[in-house]
Amino acid sequence: MVGPGRQERSWIRGAQAGSVSDLEALFREHWPRAHRAAYLVVQDGAAAEDIAQEAFLAAMRNLDRFDRRRPFGPWLHRIVVNRAIDWARARALRRETSAVEGTDEFDTGDLGTFSSGVAAGLASLSPEHRAVIVLRYLLDYTPGEIADLLDLPRGTVNSRLRRGLDRLEAILDRERA
Amino acid sequence: MSGDGDLRRALQQIQAPDEIDAQRRGWSLARAAFEAREPLSWERRHRGTLLAAAAAVVLLAAAISPPGRALVGSVRDAVTDENVTTQPALTSLPASGRLLVNSKTGPWIVQADGSKRRLGAWWEGAWSPNAEFVVVTRQREVAALDPEGNTRWSIGRSGIVRGARWSSEVNPRDTRIAYLNGRALRVVGGNGQEDRELRRRVGISAPAWRPGEFELAFSTVDGRIEVVDAETGRTVWRTVPGEIPKQLVWSEDGERLLALGDESLRVLAANGRKLFSLRLAVGPSGVVFVRDSHRFVMVRYSPATGRSDLELLQAEVDPGEARFLYSAPGEFGSLAISPNGNWLLVGWVNADQWLFLRLTAARVQAVSNISQQFGVSTEGKPIAKAFPTSVSWCCPASP
Repeated sequence: MVGPGRQERSWIRGAQAGSVSDLEALFREHWPRAHRAAYLVVQDGAAAEDIAQEAFLAAMRNLDRFDRRRPFGPWLHRIVVNRAIDWARARALRRETSAVEGTDEFDTGDLGTFSSGVAAGLASLSPEHRAVIVLRYLLDYTPGEIADLLDLPRGTVNSRLRRGLDRLEAILDRERA
Repeated sequence: MSGDGDLRRALQQIQAPDEIDAQRRGWSLARAAFEAREPLSWERRHRGTLLAAAAAVVLLAAAISPPGRALVGSVRDAVTDENVTTQPALTSLPASGRLLVNSKTGPWIVQADGSKRRLGAWWEGAWSPNAEFVVVTRQREVAALDPEGNTRWSIGRSGIVRGARWSSEVNPRDTRIAYLNGRALRVVGGNGQEDRELRRRVGISAPAWRPGEFELAFSTVDGRIEVVDAETGRTVWRTVPGEIPKQLVWSEDGERLLALGDESLRVLAANGRKLFSLRLAVGPSGVVFVRDSHRFVMVRYSPATGRSDLELLQAEVDPGEARFLYSAPGEFGSLAISPNGNWLLVGWVNADQWLFLRLTAARVQAVSNISQQFGVSTEGKPIAKAFPTSVSWCCPASP
């Protein structure tokens, strides 16, 4: 993973020194993608917000100990995506034992056809497969970096990517037909 | 796939609901947490390495300990297996006070010397404010018993009665009891008089009296938490809908309320404002407040590892970093804090043990064969699956 840019290092240094404005800059830089990544994995708006909030709170609590030479994004995304996977797994487990809840699905009302298809395809994947797709194509991590973030062998990441993409493609083909 | 670029663009277009407001709320929370934190000094910052090493030692000790002795204690305290003692039966409590234990065989009272008495074939019991009486329920009946099990009064109802809770003594000898009659919430005086309906359709969780007040927290059928003045029936406040809680717990000063559901914990201030919420993995969970404090202990179960953890958090805007108290494979059930606040009782279902954790030092007393001790009927026959469902430890000294 590449190191942080000068601007980000400056924000982190400022936030560690107590600057709210530097913290806010850091937050605004990273919140949108962290929140969206959580949403794409859990497919539940309230849960995604909670997960992003908890991740930022964890970051705030540990900011003083953060090594400024490291990039902030991967540190945050590791927390977000792992929590999102845990949450989605727990929900799946609950569905197995209870028929109380309905299915949360992406709201695809305002999206183009291709995005709607991707949303539908993502919803059909397991949380683990969604996570690698999101890390690769929304957050732009390489498979090696994803392996580090999720503590997985690189081969597992590659196979999940391949399987996830195949599944998405099949669904998109069906929608086009 | 039409190409990586297309997929990237498609993912960018999928927005989370309410993104802008979510960011505003997130920033508000992050800023509050940031402003509430205490920046580390240079010396404290460099202590991290030592703490990490200490934590690794503790975790290693936990990993190599026999089942039931995996103590992942606070880093501040040195923890070894020598800190865990195990008894085959409950012979005494580690602190003063009495336990009210609810098991399949009915409510039991356990004295500090370990002697115990079953109160009869009731489904559930709860202490009166000074442990002079116990309110009990079964089928369509609610009753008050003395600690010997003698009935002081009893009321028959039309629906299934459960969730009876006794208020604190707001005026001298003036108390109320709230209970659920089917889906209705009812209140009766501590003397069994003036029984009346307070709300017609409520959620399944037992109501919770705000300490020092005749104000009652309960859940609605759509998952709101509502606090009602039990004397007037006036709604004091009500939250927005959410997950229906299975447990409502007030802090001793009545300034904080925890609403624990299957998948979330909501932490509320006394005026109903949400301080924060946590998502939980599905599985056994529970909460209990530490005495004279807004700190609380929570059971967190991990389906991935099959372990339960005990964590200490604080019911403030910033929950603080969870302090990891204890971890063990399987499920933790009931939680109770001793009247002096020094001991935490944890029901460890899989090991059929009660663990008494000393909160002020790294020490654990384990008591085995709990089901057997609370699973014998009056005829002396063993009853299966009798591990206690709840325990309360009475009573803290009056202020």
